[in-house]
Amino acid sequence: MTGRNATRRCHHCAEPVGPGGPRLELDGALRVFCCEGCAGAARWIRDARLEDYYRLRSDASARVEAEARDYASWDRDDIQAGHVRDVPGGREITLVTDGMRCAACAWLIDRALTREPGVLDIGANAITGRIRIAWDPARTRLSVALSRLAALGFRPALARGLEIERAREASRRRWLLRLGAAGLGALQAMMFAEALYLDTQGHMPVPTRDFLRWITFLVSTPVIFWSGWPFLAGAWRELRHRRPGMDSLVAAGTLLAWGGSVVETLRGGPQVWYDTAVMFVFLLLAARLLEQRTRAVASAQVDALAQAQPALAVREKSAGGVETVATEQLLSGDVVRIAAGETLPADGVLLDAPAAISEALLTGESHPLDHAVGDTVLAGTVSVDRPLRIRVTVAGSGTRLSALTRLVEQAQAHRPRLARLADRVAAGFVIGLLLVATIVYVWWHLHQPTRAFEVLLSLLVISCPCALSLSVPAALAAAHGRLSKLGVLATRPDALDTLVRASDLVFDKTGTLSTGRPELVDTECRRDDGIAAIDAATARAIAAALERGSRHPLARAFAAFDDGRAVSGVREVAGSGVEGIVDGRLWRLGLASFAMQAVEVTANDDGRIWLGDGHRSLAAFRLQEAARDDAAEALACLQTQGLQLHLYSGDAEASVAEFAARLRLPDAVGRLQPEDKLARVRALQAGGKVVAMVGDGLNDAPVLAGADVSLVVSRGAALAQQAGDFVLTQDALARIPAALDLARRTQRIIRCNLAWALGYNLLALPLAAMGHVTPWMAALAMVVSSLTVTVNALRLTRPGRA
Amino acid sequence: MTILLLLIPLSLALLVGAIWAFAWAVRSGQFDDLETPPLDILADDPQDAPRQPPRDAA
Repeated sequence: MTGRNATRRCHHCAEPVGPGGPRLELDGALRVFCCEGCAGAARWIRDARLEDYYRLRSDASARVEAEARDYASWDRDDIQAGHVRDVPGGREITLVTDGMRCAACAWLIDRALTREPGVLDIGANAITGRIRIAWDPARTRLSVALSRLAALGFRPALARGLEIERAREASRRRWLLRLGAAGLGALQAMMFAEALYLDTQGHMPVPTRDFLRWITFLVSTPVIFWSGWPFLAGAWRELRHRRPGMDSLVAAGTLLAWGGSVVETLRGGPQVWYDTAVMFVFLLLAARLLEQRTRAVASAQVDALAQAQPALAVREKSAGGVETVATEQLLSGDVVRIAAGETLPADGVLLDAPAAISEALLTGESHPLDHAVGDTVLAGTVSVDRPLRIRVTVAGSGTRLSALTRLVEQAQAHRPRLARLADRVAAGFVIGLLLVATIVYVWWHLHQPTRAFEVLLSLLVISCPCALSLSVPAALAAAHGRLSKLGVLATRPDALDTLVRASDLVFDKTGTLSTGRPELVDTECRRDDGIAAIDAATARAIAAALERGSRHPLARAFAAFDDGRAVSGVREVAGSGVEGIVDGRLWRLGLASFAMQAVEVTANDDGRIWLGDGHRSLAAFRLQEAARDDAAEALACLQTQGLQLHLYSGDAEASVAEFAARLRLPDAVGRLQPEDKLARVRALQAGGKVVAMVGDGLNDAPVLAGADVSLVVSRGAALAQQAGDFVLTQDALARIPAALDLARRTQRIIRCNLAWALGYNLLALPLAAMGHVTPWMAALAMVVSSLTVTVNALRLTRPGRA
Repeated sequence: MTILLLLIPLSLALLVGAIWAFAWAVRSGQFDDLETPPLDILADDPQDAPRQPPRDAA
């Protein structure tokens, strides 16, 4: 943590800290904080003796708001109705929060709230971002606990989609139960099988042998049919659609080994393979569970974020005064008040005064946009700096937010799916195996009918595609684990497979590659006027003074040049610029037509900011968006990986072209609507390309969903993340080439595994077909081949070269 | 070998017991979060922790 101090980052939230800022003695050292909010949280944590939190956490905490919010309305029964359950001794509610970033946060919440008197039980889950609070209404109020959470940086919101989450949890538990039962069953079956194996000389009396076999049958049958049910059901689905794949292979393997054993038990044959069948089910379940877990973490977090919409709204009563109501109760025509920093609960029309509104949730655009009175404002956007009043036009499921969410779901449903490599290999193998088995059986039946069945059985069992079906899940489980360590979360099962085949990478806006901050690159001063000429530094300082109080995005470009000179009479002219008096002179900064008289306006002034006195221009500034530090490197890396890069932006043509030239992007097109982008993506796809898309805005979510595979940057719109196949949890473009590299390595290892497994089968099949395979040979070969593919897959967990 | 007639049913009973115990643990949410509880043992349990932390801190 001392290293952080050296770069002056907030000890709590790791945001950069300017000079000054609150300080606090913590863990035997003086720490700096970015704001009173973070300092307050840290002081509380220190005083509550929970400093261990700072040692345990693996990720910086969420920034704490300095102003305390009022959660008193959450105590009202009509608000709690529908969200609160009665539990013995009190009530229980489930909340989501966006601030819980690692297990230590869950630990902190648990410790902090347990100490509140009257709180009965706490369940904080860092994986799903959910907090369950049970409290005794007679001893405390819910708002007390919520204020405590908020003061630590975990802003609570009502959890929606509880049924979906409950169903997910039930399914998670069912999988775990299946796995546990399979594991215990496999152990037992192995014990009985061991007794049978150890009888190498055949001394065991036949009744004892049969007794042991039937007991093994008893133990293994539920494992095959209950624990292995997902595979059997999946195989049935695949066969019904006439597309045999991995599940068919797994089901065939287990059913053959089990069915063969039953037949041998009934016939009193020489060998049974119950233990193989149950072990197989257990290992495959474990691999699939691991893979699912990493993906479940990703989607649960994304969902929790998307659901964190405001639950309450402050409505003006017709008789005067205000009341707090649940968002669902809002109707068109209501007037709603929104505090600064709060999310708008419904679409509506802005009343009273212009305001800056952040549409980050919808567009991923972090700059607030200025809205005039009478403008339509949208649910899910945030009022940046002052309280608002809006007249509701649309509430509930009719809002643009809900419409966009539905659009994303539709686009996903219509996405083209590429057949998975493993499924194709598996299908070929299943069909080939059945053909070979038939031929072998017919041949033996013609030449030696007594041995035909026995040979068929050993052929099917030895080719029991253990290694083959392990090869893919093991590699996927390892790859997903490694991906999440990289900070890339895969939310869809076939995302990795498609990423490998991507031939084109499309960036959906310059914002993905830029810092989003305008940068002053060039100052040009008028030289032909001897009297009024000013030098560039003065021009920049005057501009900075004029823009000092402005919230306009471009104003930030000048902030660095502010030398503190006095300014008065500042007036912002919407859509033109700003004017004010600096050093006793009137200055105008903005469009050319605003800064000087129209006669002087020339054709080539587009995109520049002019400084003038209303008659003549004295300086012109060229601004451009700064590229991210890692953008050029990441793009070069992607190009060497063989990807065609494209930039389809909605920004002005000229600035897109200029930006692309700086980053050496070969194909950049500006002024595109989402529909145009989608059309271009479709055109690429029609030309046989596999398109990967990187983006962050919800208005581009249909395009993201329409691409073959999409990556969403985490600071982007939460709802856009639901449209993404991958979510980049850390804001670093370098993750994209790293993820691609890992995806390719995974593909190579899967191929390599499949080759191993097929090679083993090609070797074993002829031997078995000729009737030369003894049981111990089969067992040894199986173990060796399965181990080979598993160890091979584990290579993925090591960091790659790139 | 008659002892097998006792031992094998016994092992089966143990198996059923183990599965039942595992099912109970899963159903009561013991496996829902495998990351937070391990942190508990890493943090020292302060003996003199104030039962009621100061309220003015926020």
